[in-house]
Formats: sequence, C-alpha cells, structure tokens
Amino acid sequence: MSGQRVDAKVVMLGKEYVGKTSLVERYVHNRFLVGPYQNTIGAAFVAKPIHVGEKIVTLGIWDTAGSERYEAMSRIYYRGAKAAIVCYDLTDSSSFQRAKFWVKELQNCEEHCKIYLCGTKSDLVEDDRSMRKVDFHDVQDYADEIKAQLFETSSKSGHNVDELFQKVAEDYDQLYSFQQMTEEKGVDLCQKKNSTFYACCHH
Amino acid sequence: MAADVHNSKVNWDIQNESLAPIDKLRIERSDSPTPGIVEGTEPGAAQEKAMFVHTQSFEDLTAETRDTVDGDQEVESCDLTKLSNDLSQLSTHLLGQEEEQGEAEEKGEDQKVEMFDESLASVTSQDSSPCGREDICDITSDAWRNQRKHVFVLSEAGKPIYSRYGTEEALSSTMGVMMALVSFVEADKNMIKSIHGDGYKVVFLRKSPLVLVSVARTRQSEQELSRELCYIYYQIVSLLTITQLNQIFERKQNYDLRRLLAGSEHLNDNLLKQLDRDPGFLLSAVTCVPLAVSTRDIITSSLQAAKAKNLVFSILLAGNQLVSLVRKKDQYLHPMDLHLLLNLVGSSSSFREGEGWTPICLPKFNPSGFFHAHISYLDSSSDLCLILISTSREDFFCLSDCKHRFLERLWRRNAFQNLLEALQTPTYPVDLVGIPELRHFVYKSKSSGLYTSPELPPTYLVDEEQERLMGLYQYLHGRIHNSRNPLRYIYHCGQRENLLAWVTSGFEMYLCFSPLGTKVLAMNTVTKLLKWIRKEEDRLFILSPQTY
Ligand SMILES: Nc1nc2c(ncn2[C@@H]2O[C@H](COP(=O)(O)OP(=O)(O)O)[C@@H](O)[C@H]2O)c(=O)[nH]1
Ligand SMILES: [Mg+2]
Repeated sequence: MSGQRVDAKVVMLGKEYVGKTSLVERYVHNRFLVGPYQNTIGAAFVAKPIHVGEKIVTLGIWDTAGSERYEAMSRIYYRGAKAAIVCYDLTDSSSFQRAKFWVKELQNCEEHCKIYLCGTKSDLVEDDRSMRKVDFHDVQDYADEIKAQLFETSSKSGHNVDELFQKVAEDYDQLYSFQQMTEEKGVDLCQKKNSTFYACCHH
Repeated sequence: MAADVHNSKVNWDIQNESLAPIDKLRIERSDSPTPGIVEGTEPGAAQEKAMFVHTQSFEDLTAETRDTVDGDQEVESCDLTKLSNDLSQLSTHLLGQEEEQGEAEEKGEDQKVEMFDESLASVTSQDSSPCGREDICDITSDAWRNQRKHVFVLSEAGKPIYSRYGTEEALSSTMGVMMALVSFVEADKNMIKSIHGDGYKVVFLRKSPLVLVSVARTRQSEQELSRELCYIYYQIVSLLTITQLNQIFERKQNYDLRRLLAGSEHLNDNLLKQLDRDPGFLLSAVTCVPLAVSTRDIITSSLQAAKAKNLVFSILLAGNQLVSLVRKKDQYLHPMDLHLLLNLVGSSSSFREGEGWTPICLPKFNPSGFFHAHISYLDSSSDLCLILISTSREDFFCLSDCKHRFLERLWRRNAFQNLLEALQTPTYPVDLVGIPELRHFVYKSKSSGLYTSPELPPTYLVDEEQERLMGLYQYLHGRIHNSRNPLRYIYHCGQRENLLAWVTSGFEMYLCFSPLGTKVLAMNTVTKLLKWIRKEEDRLFILSPQTY
C-alpha cells in the first residue's frame, strides 16, 4: 500500500469565488496566486501533515468547486468529513447566505462533522472598512448558535490561516485520542473503521 | 450512474480485423508504402487493435441527415419576405450592415462552388484582433462585429446560454431574432441549416434542447462550421449529461442554463480557440509526443500494472500531446471525447493545485452517464498530466493509489527521467524529411486515429498566420470530405503557398509547399514523405496500444 495515509478528512465549502482554493494554497504551499480567476473543477484533494504537540496529524483537505453544477455530487466530498471549513467572503453578503445553506446541509447529513466558519479576504475590509458586507458580531452570534468556531482570514496576507488549520487539527486530535481511549476499553469499534481514510483496493 | 456500456460502437472492432488481419500486418508493412495502401497497413497504423473508436469526418452530421430524410422540399415554400426581414435584422446586429440578398438553404450543403479567394482570407485574418473577454463586451463596437467567428448557444425557448464574445445579456435581442428565425422556418417543417450572406455564413445546429449558431467570415464550409458547433454541444453535455439536460428543460422550458454552467465559459472559449488552431480537432485525431519505443513501452506497461477494478482509461498527456493510453479490454475511447478531456485539462490550472476529482461525461461513449476522473500532474514543473477514468464515484483513493504505483514504477525503471528529457524536444522540424519545398504537413493514420505534424516554420508562427494556414487546411478538409462530392486529392495553388490534400482508405494528409513547388513535385513528395514516416513511425505513433 503506497498511497498516503490520511487521519482527518476536512472539506472546504462555500460559494464560488469566496476564496476556498486560495485558502488551501496559502496553507499548503504558503503562496497566493494572482492572475485570472481559475474556478475549481469538481474538487481537488491535498494531504497535509501537521504537528500537534509531539504528534503528526495528516489532514486530507477537499477543496470543492462550490458551483451549482456539482451540488448533487457534493455529498461525496463531505461524507465522513471530520471538519468542514465553511467559507464566505467578507465583502459579499450573498456568500454568507450561501454559507448558511451549507451549514444546514451538514447538520442534516453529517452530524459528526465539526463546523468552522471562515470569513475570507479580511485584507480587503482592513484597507477599506466600507467594503465589509458581513458584520462580525452577527456571524459570531450565528456561530454560537450552531456551535461553530469563527475565523476571519486573509489568504493574501496569510492572516489567521495557519491558526485556522492548526485549530482544526488540534480539535481532531483531542477527539481522536479520546476515541482511542474508548477503543482500548473495547467500546467504539465501528467508529475506528470510519476514522481513517485508506486506499480501498487490493490487487 | 456508471457509464458501463459501450453500446453499438463495438462492432467496428471486427470490421478493422477483417480489413487488416493481425497476423498479416507485419508482413504487409512495406518500407516504401504506396499511396494505394489499405487501411491498417499505412504508416502509423496500430499493429493490434487501435485504441480509438474509428471515426469519419462529419460523422455526427451525416448520421443526422440520414435520420431526418422527411422534409426534402425547397425553401421557397415559406414566406420569403418575412424571412428576409428577420435576416436583415440579424445581420445588422451582427455585422453592422444591411443585408440585401441573404440566401437560406435547408438541409442541403452549400451548392455554390466557391472560388477560393486569397485576398478575402487575408482580409479576414486581419480582423482577428486578440481581445480578452472583457474588452469586447460592447456589442455595438466595431471590434465585436469584426470578430471572425461568433458562436452562440441558446435554449429552444430563446434564452441565451453562451456567447463567444460579449456578454449573453447584451446579446439577448440578437439571440431572440435567431430563435425567431429558427422557429419560423421550422413551422414550415423545414429545418434551417444555414444562411449564406455577403462574405459570411450563419450556420444553425439544432440539438434539442439546445440551438447552436455560428456566424463566420471564414472560408470554412457549412459542414465544417456545424462540426465545430457539435463540439460545443458535446462540451456542454460533458458537464451535465444529456439526461440532466433534457430533464432540466422538461421541467422548466425557460430555465436559465447559465446557472449550471457558471464558470465553464472558458472551456468553450478554449475549445473554439483549439478548433481554430489544432489540426487534431479537424482530423478527429490526436498526436503523440515523439518518444523512443523503449521509453514508451515502460510507461505503457507501468500504466497497465497500475490498474484497478473500475478503471476504464489511463491517459498520460504532455500538454496537448499523448504520451500513452491504456484502456479496459473492449472499451474504446472516441477521439472527440479525448479532445474534451484535453480541453478540460488545457483550460484550467486548477488541476495543478492537488489531485482533481470530478464527474465527467464522455458524450461519445455514453451521453447519459458520468465517469469520474482523477486528474493530476506528475510533477509541478512539467506538463505531464495523468488522467485516470473510473466508473465509480467512490474510487478517488483507489485511483490516487494507482497513480503512486505508476510513479514508483517509472522511477524504479528510470523512465521518468527519460520522459522528461524527451519532452525537451516535443516536436521536430520539417527539414528532417529532406524536401526543401515542403514547409509543413499533417498526416493522419486512419486506423490508429493518430496524426503527426512537424513544428510550424517561422513564417507561420504568429497567431494570424497559424490560423490562416489552419484555415487553408480546414478549407481543403471541407472540400475533400464534402459528402456530396468527396474527392481523393486536391492540389491548390495560392499566392503564398501551394497545398496538396490527399485522402485514401488508410491515411489522410495535408501538405504545404512554398509557392515555388510544382504539382509534380507535390505528388512525388507524397511517396517520399510516406517513406519517411514509415521509418519514424515507432517514435511518432503508438503502434501497440495496450489494455489492462
Ligand atoms: N484580496 C484578497 N483576494 C482574495 C483572497 N482570497 C481569494 N481572493 C481572490 O478571490 C478570487 C477567488 O478566489 P478562489 O480561491 O479561487 O475562490 P474559490 O472559488 O472559493 O476557490 C481570486 O481572484 C482570488 O485572488 C484574499 O484573502 N484577499
Ligand atoms: Mg476554488
């Protein structure tokens, strides 16, 4: 078996153009690509190992397209996800409405998935406060209500990006080590099967 | 849904065998092939079964005419004054001038024998100023009107879906007029196929629930333009499947399809650009990276070994060129489907980001089902892109594992390094053939569906000149395959170059000579070129395509 081992599946959700791909690019490759917009086709996967204390947790990050065309397919991307980073663009209020749609979708279909709300392009609203179209406190209230964590990030400057993913990994690790303990007591066996992603075929 | 049936296409396979029995093939491969050679023995022919479905020029269009033989009446039967009113409105919109005598033809081909007019070709190519999407949104501007080829897609309810230049909104009225034209002529049970005006053609392609329109000032035949529209149609189907497309419009006739196609405009843009430039799209063929047989064999066997249960095709590309293709036994890829894959990969840098995983319909294989494609680059600095196509949407990690096993094998056998080295020279100069007057050629082996072509000489390197040369090839292709009057060869003398087009049952070639070349020389070149290609065929073609 040569495929890489992934501990936690993380899915990026949100309307097209909010900056999901840029967020992953910044986190994984520490770069911000300028140039004409390249919409994601289907979804893109990257595996990223990350230090949590002494341990290494490998996040398997699914960057989805967010377009309506793939909506029927989106379940295959978030099924079994341990964490979802639901993105909205701080300068586009419609993108926050869309974020709420994804939250509902996750609450209905993926109840074990932890939700992280992420307001993107914070550099734009820092430069010019009138650009902000989504109020921080409104979102904070909403986040409390759905028991989600809230981050505002900029992929351009890198602001808060590492912190977001670090938090995702730490939360997962806490839950996972807890699960291991329960496994040792022989309780939660079927949970173990789902918690790792492995290549599926044998030859 | 799993696209697991290849329906009627399989029987071609048997046909091919009867044409060229496998065991005899090697013996019949003469070193000095003559132009009369049969399919399966021409230079570049595959030794065993080919990897592609066998195709014919204009197969989509000719198949259709056969289906609809009913309305053979002439267009006179409809109210010509109403028609010409609509027409002048349309041409004013598109070309900014009143059109006096438009001429509509139904179902038939262009019957006028068109004289090839060199001056016109050069005038039109000047018009093609390379503008970005944004610059030309103003549809009243001259720049917009002067574009050489407009392409529109609309729904049967007349809703705009795609426009090559300018925004669809701005064009709503133009699209409305087009739809009125289409439905007007259809009311009389005629199908409007094309309108020939002064220096331009308007070609309609009805593919329910879509209507596609091309307005061109090029020398392309109506068939040629319809075929391009067909590509755009299939591009849209490949994103949605025909089932979904039909369902959507059955549920809601005036649905705005742009919602579902959002972000895919550049796929159509890029496809149209390829159609203007890439001879492969013209010939329903693909070209291979020139590669030593030993290297290609290792790559192919590594692809073979990295198999999985639901894997149907493994395709390794270097840019627009094929490195290797391995398929499931009894499953053949259609060149058009491969072109759509090339277009998908070529239009987006999104697959460089990580491992891509996307549903995709290959309309020629099965227009109603999705495959699932794993698309990734082998390394960040090269153009080597691996496409693994599976029937299962659950297969991502399985295919990801296939990719790793493939790469491991390549590394272990040093083939990766050899491949990268070969990619330093992905083309060859025409001088290698040793015919001074020969400037360029395109040669397609019909049975393998592969073509080869040298790099463009310096005179044709600028965009306009490249498109002009392609325009000449397109013009000859259209004439030689004219379904009413197919020809075997055409020798064409122009001011700036002479061309020869030659089609046999085994191959198809287009040669471009300096204007000093003569017809006799051109004819002699054919033999010499065939001999050269035979000598090089191991490197230029994939002679032994493999299955898993
Ligand atoms: N100023 C600024 N622009 C951003 C930021 N993140 C993304 N963008 C831009 O927003 C557009 C969409 O980004 P992308 O990541 O492709 O969005 P996606 O469709 O959600 O994947 C691109 O033009 C990016 O350059 C950011 O943090 N700051
Ligand atoms: Mg994206």
